[in-house]
Amino acid sequence: MKNWLKTALTLVWKDLVQEWRSRDMLTAMLSFAVLTLFIFNYAMELNPASRSEAAAGIIWVVIVFAGTLGLNRSFTAEQDQGCFDALVMAVPELSVIYVAKLITNLLVMLFLTVLVIPIYSLLYNQSLFMPMLWLVLLLGAWGYSATGTLIAGMTVQTRMRDLLLPILLFPLLMPVNMAVVKAAGAVLAGSALSGYASWVNLLLVYDIIMTVLSILVFEYVIQE
Amino acid sequence: MTQLEARAISKRYGTQRVLDHLDLALNGGEVTCLLGPNGAGKTTLLRVLSGLQRSQAGELLLDGARLDFHQPDARRQFGLVMHQPFLYEHLTGPENLRFYARLYQAELPEAQLRQLLTRVGLGKTRPVPVRSYSRGMKQRLTIARALLHNPRILLLDEPYTGLDQQGCQLLNLLIGEEQANGRVILATTHELNHARQIASLFAVLTRGKIAALIPNVGLSLDDIQLRYQQITQPESVAAA
Repeated sequence: MKNWLKTALTLVWKDLVQEWRSRDMLTAMLSFAVLTLFIFNYAMELNPASRSEAAAGIIWVVIVFAGTLGLNRSFTAEQDQGCFDALVMAVPELSVIYVAKLITNLLVMLFLTVLVIPIYSLLYNQSLFMPMLWLVLLLGAWGYSATGTLIAGMTVQTRMRDLLLPILLFPLLMPVNMAVVKAAGAVLAGSALSGYASWVNLLLVYDIIMTVLSILVFEYVIQE
Repeated sequence: MTQLEARAISKRYGTQRVLDHLDLALNGGEVTCLLGPNGAGKTTLLRVLSGLQRSQAGELLLDGARLDFHQPDARRQFGLVMHQPFLYEHLTGPENLRFYARLYQAELPEAQLRQLLTRVGLGKTRPVPVRSYSRGMKQRLTIARALLHNPRILLLDEPYTGLDQQGCQLLNLLIGEEQANGRVILATTHELNHARQIASLFAVLTRGKIAALIPNVGLSLDDIQLRYQQITQPESVAAA
């Protein structure tokens, strides 16, 4: 177990250093996120009420679509230089590759969220610094990364991976999208926890099931 | 002494049969050079032997015991050099080696890292990201990566690719050292001149099978070329 954990951390370290030096994922994700926020800002300029109501949806749309750009690239280094084969040869268990990629993708998503929320607050003049909102977004990002990492691992060896990833991913993400938008909307509307606890529970259960399931099937998914 | 044996290995891609009940035994302390025309299935064979691809039939035996790639340590017995370098472009050479050493849980103290880099002729290279390395430097680093966990079996797919004359000599020296250490070594190459210098045995792969095993004893380059052509292109040799 100790070796497994050390291997996972080593893989995460490598991914983060690679990303920090290349900024492949973050540049694309952040550019897309900021551009989308600006477009929404202009589209809803005259209607502050609808802005407030749509906040949860706008934020999640921005995070999910920007996240898809990142997911598409999350296995690129492995694919381009054949490193995926080298990882398969070296790691004690193949599931550790999935867990490491999941952690990296989650960290990147959270980093993106931390940047997107203040930009949104600034553009829309609406404070979003609410602990429960952050919790909902964290659970949403976890579910998104858990499913997305598995599908990205599946599609990375296909020629049409840019197209296949969203086609396969988005239907599986329906429960997450629904739960995040509903729960975040309730938080922003000032509802009590009891009003959206069922959505938070759904997120938590989805996250745990998808993570465990993905760990179990990852070995079979990546092999031919 | 380590022995790796492939028994009746078959592999097909769709309807194309690449390996057809192939048998091959590789012994420790021997260098087997796998020869064959393009598309003969050399790379596929290396991938099947290392567990990167599953065969549809047949089995692999290591020291007489069936090799089960579901076991955590099965793949770690292999050191692999393939067409792609298996290197992370934004990490430096030493960072790449330290990263892989950690994955293999292999001790790689600084002195040993320096020694390994020196062995492949990269001892004096500045620690710059691998993306700024030349093809030959990447190949040298790839060879160092394949050796760093002291694998029992070395599978080398076109290892001379991108290497200059000095690099080729260095590689021959390294292969000789690893052979003396009792490793099982299988190398594919089209460079018969290099193959002649390192091989204990030539295995010729054609039509999915090992068509001939030729011990490298007293063979000149012309002898090897003639034997190779007789096996892979018998019609053209007969016509000549």
